[in-house]
Amino acid sequence: MVEINQRNLRDVDWLLLLAPVALTVFGCIGIESTAPGPELKKQIIALVIGLAVAIVVMFTDYRKVIMNVAPFFYGITNVLLVLVLFFGKEVNGNRNWLHVGVSVQPSELAKIATILMLARFMARQRGELTLKDIGIMTAIVLPPIILIQRGGDTGTMLTFGAILASFYFLGGMRKLMLVAGMAVMVVGLVTAFPHLKPYQQERVKVIFDPASANPKGYGYQTIQSVIAVGSGGVVGKGIGQGTQGRLGFLPFAWTDFIGAVVAEEMGFLGILLMMVLYLLLIWRLISIALGARDRAGALMVMGFVALITFHILSNLGMVIGIMPIMGIPLPLMSSGGTAVISMFLGVGLALSVRMRRFVN
Amino acid sequence: MSKNPKEEGYNFELRMRGFQYMVLAIFILLGLRFYVLQVARHEDYKARAENNRIRDIPILAPRGAILDRNGVVLVDNHPAFNVVVFPEDVASKEETINTLVENLGVDRKELTDELNDKVRPGSQPILVKQNALPSDRAWIAAHELEHPEIKVDQQPQRIYKYGNLASHVLGYIGEISPKQLEYSRYKDAGYKSGDIIGQGGIEAVYDEILRGQNGRRRVIVDSRGRPVAELEKIEPIKGQDIVTTLDFDLQNLAENLFTSKNETGALVALNPQNGEILAMVSVPSFDPNVFARNVVSTENRKEVRAIVNNPAHPLFNKATQSIYPTGSTWKIMMATAALEEGVITPKSSRIVCGGGLQLGNRFLNDSGGNHGSPDIHAAIVHSCDGYFYRLGLKMGVDMIHDWVSRFGMGQKTGIDLPSEQKGIIPSREWKKRVNPRDPVWKDFDTAIASIGQGSVAVPPIQLIRAEAGIVAGGKFYTPHLLKEARATQVEDVKYYDNQPTELMLSPVTVGIIDYAMWGVVNEGGTAGGVGFPRELNVGGKTGTAQVIAREKVRTKEHKDHSWFIGFAPMHTDQKAEIGVVAITENGGWGASASGPKVKMIQAEYFSKKLGRPILPELVAFNAQFQAKPEPAPAGARVMVNADRKRQPVRQ
Repeated sequence: MVEINQRNLRDVDWLLLLAPVALTVFGCIGIESTAPGPELKKQIIALVIGLAVAIVVMFTDYRKVIMNVAPFFYGITNVLLVLVLFFGKEVNGNRNWLHVGVSVQPSELAKIATILMLARFMARQRGELTLKDIGIMTAIVLPPIILIQRGGDTGTMLTFGAILASFYFLGGMRKLMLVAGMAVMVVGLVTAFPHLKPYQQERVKVIFDPASANPKGYGYQTIQSVIAVGSGGVVGKGIGQGTQGRLGFLPFAWTDFIGAVVAEEMGFLGILLMMVLYLLLIWRLISIALGARDRAGALMVMGFVALITFHILSNLGMVIGIMPIMGIPLPLMSSGGTAVISMFLGVGLALSVRMRRFVN
Repeated sequence: MSKNPKEEGYNFELRMRGFQYMVLAIFILLGLRFYVLQVARHEDYKARAENNRIRDIPILAPRGAILDRNGVVLVDNHPAFNVVVFPEDVASKEETINTLVENLGVDRKELTDELNDKVRPGSQPILVKQNALPSDRAWIAAHELEHPEIKVDQQPQRIYKYGNLASHVLGYIGEISPKQLEYSRYKDAGYKSGDIIGQGGIEAVYDEILRGQNGRRRVIVDSRGRPVAELEKIEPIKGQDIVTTLDFDLQNLAENLFTSKNETGALVALNPQNGEILAMVSVPSFDPNVFARNVVSTENRKEVRAIVNNPAHPLFNKATQSIYPTGSTWKIMMATAALEEGVITPKSSRIVCGGGLQLGNRFLNDSGGNHGSPDIHAAIVHSCDGYFYRLGLKMGVDMIHDWVSRFGMGQKTGIDLPSEQKGIIPSREWKKRVNPRDPVWKDFDTAIASIGQGSVAVPPIQLIRAEAGIVAGGKFYTPHLLKEARATQVEDVKYYDNQPTELMLSPVTVGIIDYAMWGVVNEGGTAGGVGFPRELNVGGKTGTAQVIAREKVRTKEHKDHSWFIGFAPMHTDQKAEIGVVAITENGGWGASASGPKVKMIQAEYFSKKLGRPILPELVAFNAQFQAKPEPAPAGARVMVNADRKRQPVRQ
């Protein structure tokens, strides 16, 4: 399966490999500034493992991965999600960690596995999506959604929804249905709101009306995050000089609010650099998808793009107070080994697509 | 890649491009928002981040001590470990309340009220327990993580060393009320909610002098409110110590004279030559320490309520706030006015007594019997009512009103104590106002007003100011309690500036009055039986203030109030140094209950001055009632050297 040759090496998209490494290192600066204990070390180990995974996967034929490995991968991650429900460790109200010597977060792996399964199904599908297609696609995404919903992690659940929606769009859902689907989504969100838990409602309310939110309540994190971002200014307070992050006003600064730490310590310029790196990563991925040899490869890479974009939007949106807090990490930057490795797995698969664009 | 849009039925590449633009749009949106927060609104958020981490912790300035004229410390502070709650760090009110109630014995209702007080700034700590025990402090230290809002603070606590002693003069302290915050006196001086201020007596009147300047610690705190670094520290400046005009020994003796006999009333001793008050007593009194503790605890609130709701009104200062008919002590003013106006003259002052006065169908009785036709000297010595009924009628109400007003009757004396009462003096307007059914002033009204009954009711402080002024030859000094406010590193020493109101009184008149008052005590007059030491040359006047008509008196509550006012020495070549007025409520007739009190005070004054015992009775009494300072709470270090030592007073 793994094949290395001269032409392959020449085709490696070094920029695509460099951007995620740079982002991870960028994140490490924020982790170093705010995290207690060994978080930084774990993140660096994850980066090394992630790079190794990416390189191995890069030299692997993605078609074989999609066709042969994906079902097993998908199956295993779902089993892990079930195990999490029974043996998982609860962290901050969400049960999505599994302890097997090291802590792993099966939901992160499940995201990639689900993308692979969707791409696998759609490799054979042609033309506009039929209702049957839509049904099968939904069926693929439903098991992880249900399992994660049982664990109480609304944010990750929504991520799967976003992936599914992207595949609907890219896979050729009819325009009318897309519009109808969006309408259903909006109506669904509005009707679901009163049934949310009080803390979830408050997290949404603070977005629209930060002034009247209880600063001690669930709006607290959003308010403190916005203060952190705003107080950073153009050039920031300096690395290791942030007061919001370091004095504990930002809860979990090194995971969910790493973006606020960057904004506080490195300012608007730091944020611009970070966004440029993300855009670079996404642009390279989209250009790979556009140049992919087959539909499965293109969809797989685009699914990965959708995943990253949704994470960035949700996470940074939360950091700047325009999205409710859902516990979605910032790709590559938030402290969390499984997430970093999953991202590099995605990058490796994309590189594999690129290296095989002319091969038949 | 298959690039046949027709075959696919839709354009895959177009959708991917669309996706790309969507991503771009998201990034632009995020970037714009970052720009708004970090560039456009940076200053605002910068300030908010600073507010988050920088906290000013006030360091309360100890209030100035209050001393007697000889340096005896009456009020001081000692450092106390207090448990405080910072409302802005409270995460859950309910949890904080439950914790404090269960573990530190705090009163639930009080604490709930305090925490829900909307006027109090969040940074202002709430005092929930004073004099925390070591076990309390250990508990708080152990629960610092769960309850960062509960802290132990070392603060100065006010201590009134002799409990009830001079409580009405010293006053008490308490938290500023929302109503007080609206007064310009407090608002303009920068007082804020939660401040502890003087609420009565000298504590209130001289609050600005006593309070000092609070210091502060500016610290960096983490999100749990724990200081992690100190930026600056401004030390507090203690308030100015106030040296009062009070004499501890006289004050203590005066209170014991009432309490030892279970009597109520008031007593004021002052120096007629400068208005300095040596003793001021109102009985019943209260323990100001109860208010100073100001703790959110059930016991303390009970103690406070017991004082506030006591039907005997112990907070009331009877010397300045209660008004009484003066009875015959009033006759001194009548006689002075009559002599000055020439209604009677030194040579021709005889008026019939007749044992009373028949007015229409009413007979006004002279309680002392029939005195024949006394001159003014004998009329005062024997307190002849019949004489003064007739004298009053000769003068007329308008002249009486005019003269007693000149003596300051019916007006505030201006004493440095809060809420002084004006009282009532005879006037046609007064009768019209209070008695609309019978609005016309009659001879009857003039006659009874002439012996200090009927339309006469004034606080004791007014009476002694007026008659001390007459004794001092027409110099009316404002009675006052501040002798000196001692200098601190930022404030200069302050003295009470007392300019007398002067009234031109003929020395002959003053001489006649002085001699008559001397006669009351020393010529077998109404106070002849009190037993004043002859050598003191005390001059005085008795008074009996009728509570209801005599024939109806059945119970003690209806017994007359007993007055005595006395000055010493009353001698042609000496100036009177001490004037004492005493009123014993329901004490019966003038000389009986109040006379001995004045005697003891004057004997004590001169014993101290001459350095030898004057009255054996006094020596025995003092031996029985020795004042001891209340012990400071265990472990407390007293801030000012508080020994009852005579320290020289800087003049």
